[in-house]
Amino acid sequence: MKKLITILFTIIGLVTYGQTTINPDTVCANATGEQYFVTNTPTSTYTWTITGGGGTLQTGQGTNSITVDWGGVPGLYSNAVYVFETNSSNCPGALVNLDVYVLQIGLPVLGPFCIGDPLAALGGTPLGGTYTGTGVVGNDFDPVVAGLGTHVITYSLGGCSTTINVTVNSNPVTGPIQHF
Amino acid sequence: MKKLFTILLLVISLTSYSQCVFNQSRTITPAGPYSPGQVVTVDYNLGHFYQLNVNWIIAFQINLGAGWTNLTPLVAPIGGGSQSGYWLWDLQNTFPSGLNFGPGWRFVNTTWWGNPDWGSQSTGPFTMRFRVTVDQTCTPDNLSISMSVFGDCLTGGWSNGACCSDPAYNIYNGVVQISPIITSSINHY
Repeated sequence: MKKLITILFTIIGLVTYGQTTINPDTVCANATGEQYFVTNTPTSTYTWTITGGGGTLQTGQGTNSITVDWGGVPGLYSNAVYVFETNSSNCPGALVNLDVYVLQIGLPVLGPFCIGDPLAALGGTPLGGTYTGTGVVGNDFDPVVAGLGTHVITYSLGGCSTTINVTVNSNPVTGPIQHF
Repeated sequence: MKKLFTILLLVISLTSYSQCVFNQSRTITPAGPYSPGQVVTVDYNLGHFYQLNVNWIIAFQINLGAGWTNLTPLVAPIGGGSQSGYWLWDLQNTFPSGLNFGPGWRFVNTTWWGNPDWGSQSTGPFTMRFRVTVDQTCTPDNLSISMSVFGDCLTGGWSNGACCSDPAYNIYNGVVQISPIITSSINHY
């Protein structure tokens, strides 16, 4: 019963106050339509600025919620997003900043393999992500486990992902030696 | 001897303080503190003006802190008894003495035998009303209100000096109440 009440209060809290973003925020390179917001005061206006990460403000200037398209150059950008609120008396509030880390993940081309080939490292960058797909064994691709065919391998990290197709072919069948 | 001493002390006292303004009161609606844009009405009452050395009352000057705007007269002074002239609302006037007056009401004496810079013969009571608005501001500006009452010895209309040192009557002291702007942290869906 106590657990149920705790969960209920947590849900109410999230609905009331919205989610909280940890600073720095992580976005995927070339992400589009990413939405940022602050708690709304109906009589206030909000002035947003995007200063780094190749970001451009797309919609919502003046309101408490905006969308941003991000660039493709990875890295940490300090104060990439900031906003200040102006109340109904035209008084500006303090600047509120958010650092943004633009994450570019990569997964090199792999294969094709022959059935029976040994395991091959998948080599996703940066390190620390997770691989999914048929034939994935830890951080490697196993053609034997995968079997014949083309397999989609996905590498995911920090909410971003990328995919490659890996093909496993059958071994060539060599006929008996003939004598003309 | 005792009587003479008492009279002497009384004369010294009157000369030192020269007080002609008695029984002042005010009502301020609504009561403070105040926020930007708020409209406030002030009723001021002077119970009695003592005409020491035939010094007549001539002006009520409203002193406002920098946080006020839109000063508007609503009810001009109503003095008891007969007055030869009228109370004029004026934003600025320089009296013959060089006294820079305003804003407020000043009396214009219209007797054919007198001087426009003589005050009113009335000793009161005087009641008046005005309205002020708290200016739109982002800083806790001064919202003081006080009333200065001038006798015609101050203005140069009457040279028999007295009543030249009555302090301004405090009506309100305070500053603009500024609500802090608290913006939440930036969140990302």
